[in-house]
Amino acid sequence: MLRLKNWILIIAGCLGMQAASAQVRPPFSFNFNYSIAQPFGSVKDYTDKTSFRGWQAGVQYMLTDQWGIGLKTGFQDFYERVPRAVYPTKGGDISAVQSRTLQVIPALATVQYQFTKPDAVVIPYASLGIGAANMNYEKYWGEFVDKDNSWRFMASPEIGVNIPFGKASPLLFNASIEYNYAPYKLAEITNFSTIQANIGLRWHIN
Amino acid sequence: MKKKRLLLLMSATVALTALLSLNSCRKDPLNDMTDEESRIYITNRDSTVNFGSYTSFSIVDSVAVASNGSTDKRALTDYDKQLIAAVKAAMQAKGYILVDKAAKPELAINLTRIDDTYSSSYYDPGYWSGWGGYYDPFYWGYPGYGYYFPSYYTVYYKERAVSIDLVDLKNAQSDKQINAIWNAMFRGSGVWDTNNVNNMVSAVFAQSPYLKK
Repeated sequence: MLRLKNWILIIAGCLGMQAASAQVRPPFSFNFNYSIAQPFGSVKDYTDKTSFRGWQAGVQYMLTDQWGIGLKTGFQDFYERVPRAVYPTKGGDISAVQSRTLQVIPALATVQYQFTKPDAVVIPYASLGIGAANMNYEKYWGEFVDKDNSWRFMASPEIGVNIPFGKASPLLFNASIEYNYAPYKLAEITNFSTIQANIGLRWHIN
Repeated sequence: MKKKRLLLLMSATVALTALLSLNSCRKDPLNDMTDEESRIYITNRDSTVNFGSYTSFSIVDSVAVASNGSTDKRALTDYDKQLIAAVKAAMQAKGYILVDKAAKPELAINLTRIDDTYSSSYYDPGYWSGWGGYYDPFYWGYPGYGYYFPSYYTVYYKERAVSIDLVDLKNAQSDKQINAIWNAMFRGSGVWDTNNVNNMVSAVFAQSPYLKK
């Protein structure tokens, strides 16, 4: 609920700030992307499979022709099933097929800089997202689960391109790569770190 | 115009919030799990014990059934016969000599099927302290003795499970109690299926290489 309220406040705030410059397209936009993510470091040790189950969505308001602020969220599901193995415990051993899962839902505030003016054919940009991420850890031992759900700080720098479908088109193709980091420490995971590729659409609306 | 824009923004906000709560694209591990994959085999041991210092063992002639809190049942179904035979054979393969319980075995094996499928008890350490109800130490010729289970022998269960307990009779006299020195548990789907007994028993003995004469 808090998040919804914040969004409404921020969107309302953005509406009040009308950009002065002549606009190629309206300053407010939202985007929706399909995401693929590859885990690194200890997350890779936990679940080493590339995740093809993800999406990302966001809203953005251009303060100037090249600077924008926004919010983004998404979802990524990491999963790996490890064949039966024997794992040592404090007092003995457990033989189990492990199904290791991790679901990540970020909620980030973003600032974006576009390297060209909005009338360019290709608009490359860099952005930084800072905020929190909900980490849902579920490690199944056979059918029995060890689970933990918590929020962590998250930072995610991103580079990408927006390609308008025609000169002042409000609809843009978007492709980007981002790095996600969270100081997440749980069981075998010592840090959360993934590289994520996104592909989707950005739509500027009046 | 302004109203239309606001409406659009509001619907975008609502749509994104809905997406945020959308969790359906996650892969559910239980969806495609076979019974074999669902099972886990847990072993615990007393790390201070030298398992090579024991020679003989005996095993119960029936399997205790701990069902939803009831404590007084023993059974000898085909499953139970299979379980007794498999554990017996596994112990012999580890070099221990099977003797009658009257012949002062140094080790004893208790077998229990736990059926707490419908019970609400989730964590019940009392299960262990109530152990005597199944195989009273009297069964092993130690009337009045209590079993002692190390603290790591806590069990979380709300399911069917099978427990194999190896207890020390050799030192019962000097310790004035019967210590459990090794335990194995089968948990998951199909643990009460006769066809799975041999595999499950092999697994727990194989993952306990220290358990040998």
